[in-house]
Amino acid sequence: MDAQLQVITFLRLVMITLVPYVLAAQGTMLGGRTGVFSVAQEGIMLVAASVGFLAAYYLGGLLYGVLAAMLVGGIVGLLLAYFTTTLKMDQFVIGLALFFATAGFSSLAYKVAIGVTLIPPLIPTLPDVPLPVLSQLPLVGDIFFRHNVFVYLAIVLSLVLYVLLYRTGIGLELRAVGESPLAADSLGVNVTLMRYVTTVVGGMLMGLAGVYLPMAYTGTFTEDIVRGRGWLSIALTFFGGWNPHFILLGAFFFAGVEVLAFRAQVTNVGIPYQFLLMLPYLATILVMIPGFRWARVPAFLGRNYDREKRAQV
Amino acid sequence: MTAPLVEMRHIHKRFGDVVALEDVHFELQAGEIHGLLGGNGAGKTTLMNILYGLYTADRGEIHVRGQRVLIHSPRDALHLGIGMVHQHFLQVAPFTVVENIALGTLPRLGGKKHVRAAADRIQALAQQFGLAVDPHAVVEDLPVGVRQRVEILKALYRGADVLILDEPTTNLTPQEVDALFQSLRAMVAQGLSVIFITHKIREVMAVCDRVTVLREGRNVFTRSRAETREEDLVRGMVGEQLDVQHSFLFSGRPQETEHTAGAPLIQVHDLTVLGDNNVPAVQGCTFTVREGEILGIAGVAGNGQTELAEALMGIRPIAQGEVTINGYRVRVGSTRHLLARDVAYIPEDRLEDGYLPAASVAHNLILGYHRRPPYSRGSFLDWPAVFQAAWRLIKEYNIRTAGPTEIAANLSGGNIQRLMLARAFAHPFRVLIAHNPTRGLDIPSTEFVYRKLLEARARGAAILLISEDLDELLLLCDRIGTLYRGQLMGILDRPAFDKYRIGEMMAGVAATQA
Repeated sequence: MDAQLQVITFLRLVMITLVPYVLAAQGTMLGGRTGVFSVAQEGIMLVAASVGFLAAYYLGGLLYGVLAAMLVGGIVGLLLAYFTTTLKMDQFVIGLALFFATAGFSSLAYKVAIGVTLIPPLIPTLPDVPLPVLSQLPLVGDIFFRHNVFVYLAIVLSLVLYVLLYRTGIGLELRAVGESPLAADSLGVNVTLMRYVTTVVGGMLMGLAGVYLPMAYTGTFTEDIVRGRGWLSIALTFFGGWNPHFILLGAFFFAGVEVLAFRAQVTNVGIPYQFLLMLPYLATILVMIPGFRWARVPAFLGRNYDREKRAQV
Repeated sequence: MTAPLVEMRHIHKRFGDVVALEDVHFELQAGEIHGLLGGNGAGKTTLMNILYGLYTADRGEIHVRGQRVLIHSPRDALHLGIGMVHQHFLQVAPFTVVENIALGTLPRLGGKKHVRAAADRIQALAQQFGLAVDPHAVVEDLPVGVRQRVEILKALYRGADVLILDEPTTNLTPQEVDALFQSLRAMVAQGLSVIFITHKIREVMAVCDRVTVLREGRNVFTRSRAETREEDLVRGMVGEQLDVQHSFLFSGRPQETEHTAGAPLIQVHDLTVLGDNNVPAVQGCTFTVREGEILGIAGVAGNGQTELAEALMGIRPIAQGEVTINGYRVRVGSTRHLLARDVAYIPEDRLEDGYLPAASVAHNLILGYHRRPPYSRGSFLDWPAVFQAAWRLIKEYNIRTAGPTEIAANLSGGNIQRLMLARAFAHPFRVLIAHNPTRGLDIPSTEFVYRKLLEARARGAAILLISEDLDELLLLCDRIGTLYRGQLMGILDRPAFDKYRIGEMMAGVAATQA
């Protein structure tokens, strides 16, 4: 294999690998921008992978799986919004509770539906959709424009979120809610609605991130299919400074490390593979040391807003 | 008389067990500036938050322009033309001025074009009412006076014709106060009506047409200014709880010293202290406080006051320079030794630095003094002595609590402040560093603090009084220094006191230039 082909293959893999990171991190970012900090990504991705896979398998179409994954992600997001925004319970406690519940439900649903089998049930994986004209370009065409729809979706979504947040009135309101909900509320912005909508949509994006894994990689559901990508997406969100465009850039890094770790395993470099599997997490810690200092976090992140609570001044 | 523009009838509001408002009436006539006067805890802000829809009244009716209305949220209030400027600005710090003002009014998916149009309208409004701002400046970089203009423009931008201002002169220099009053007059001349919340009688007399006085959540009276004397307002605010005749607070007479200042007890030489962001917050400050003297530090909040106090108490490292207090060279970590050397400290932020929320009232009352008799004998605490002292202090300082064993977190803000004051004043001190000691206190308690400070001065204590309340400093201090961006703009002696002069220094004009 010549060097050029190696590079093309590597970058192609990075493009395919960054999808779940981007979707889950943008979902995290969206909720966080109104102050709701989800820590249930890992669980939502698991349950969406499981339910999405089952829907696609039984109903016989990937689209059903995608819709089911969004539905289930949205429901978990709705629960998170309800417990935190309406009942004003601690976001981390609720987020962790939802993680455990959804993670448990994911394997339960699979086992109830499929049972234990020697040969795993399979769904077709997502086909590549080369973009007209663009995919004919030398090098660039192969790397960027011959992918499944989720890859395009992840990129386009990031750009759309950027425009929404920074170029529209609704984006301004949304960011204001995450910085100072009292200020937003005092100008007639519906804080509760904003928090619900972003948390539910954020949950849907996490659901998409989850269902991508069986649809793009394995063709089936396994209990360890998410492998910490949900947790890493939280790190990616901080790494990207809670900005959609930087999150997209950061995802190249996270995906790059994952591909490297995977390649190193395959090529047998003589290091036990468990160490290689640690690589993404170690890299995360290393980049987050300066990253956390740099990141500007929404001021109201992780807190709940109660209009009538008297300020302790 | 025509029907009032706004009328609030029989308003009741409780927070948990605390009655905030009881059967309160309020009315605003079109085209007037209506003062809403009362001490801390009188319910002024609560009443107006109800009108603005931030709180919901438990009972009562609101009428606007003769119509009964239900106001569930600020959105409803804004629709009725009611805007409110809060004492603690409700602004999104990292946003620009135009973003803060236009927030919630931009078309959902509209873009830059609308922001530009908004900026133009803000410019026009700013011109019309004399409220100069740069629409594209980021709010967190702006001085307090400008941020306040932003807050007022927010209401005007939404076409409010009823403007509620909550303690708008807090943290303004005297010059800025005058400019604000002019703007208010301009607004009234152009058809607006203003509700002006304040606890300062002088401001009512200066700018209001009518005044409503509240005390402990009840109406006292409503009168036009023309037929009101200052004494009536004082009496209305404090009721029978205070001997107004002999009050320092209302005498308006500065408290002269009858002695010559003695030995220097606080010596600060060329002090530089870094702030939390590692940028110097205090720079090259030099001053001395002698025994029997009160040195005041004026300045708009956030100009290095906190860092100065913390460096003097050994809580924050000294980057450069020397601090000697009562003969002791201060370093970071010397707090314990300072307390042992009769230095008392009243921190600014009572919730963060002033008390232990999970500890009992008795624990809190002896905190920092627990190593000395009578609380401690050898290595052991003498609990009977501690509780005895705690009961005495609770009584003397009027701390409302179930008793010494109650958890301090259950106390209200004013009572936590009293607890801190009791701790500082109950133990003999030669040096006191007090930062905003009367913040959040009702009038009798403020009076009490002033008495304690003057008593301490009379017996020879050296007091550094850092305060954002210029009137308080003018009343109590022998000398006043002014901090601006961490630098001491000069120290004035009592004969040279002039609040406009200090106002210039608060805005960065050095004493020699002025």
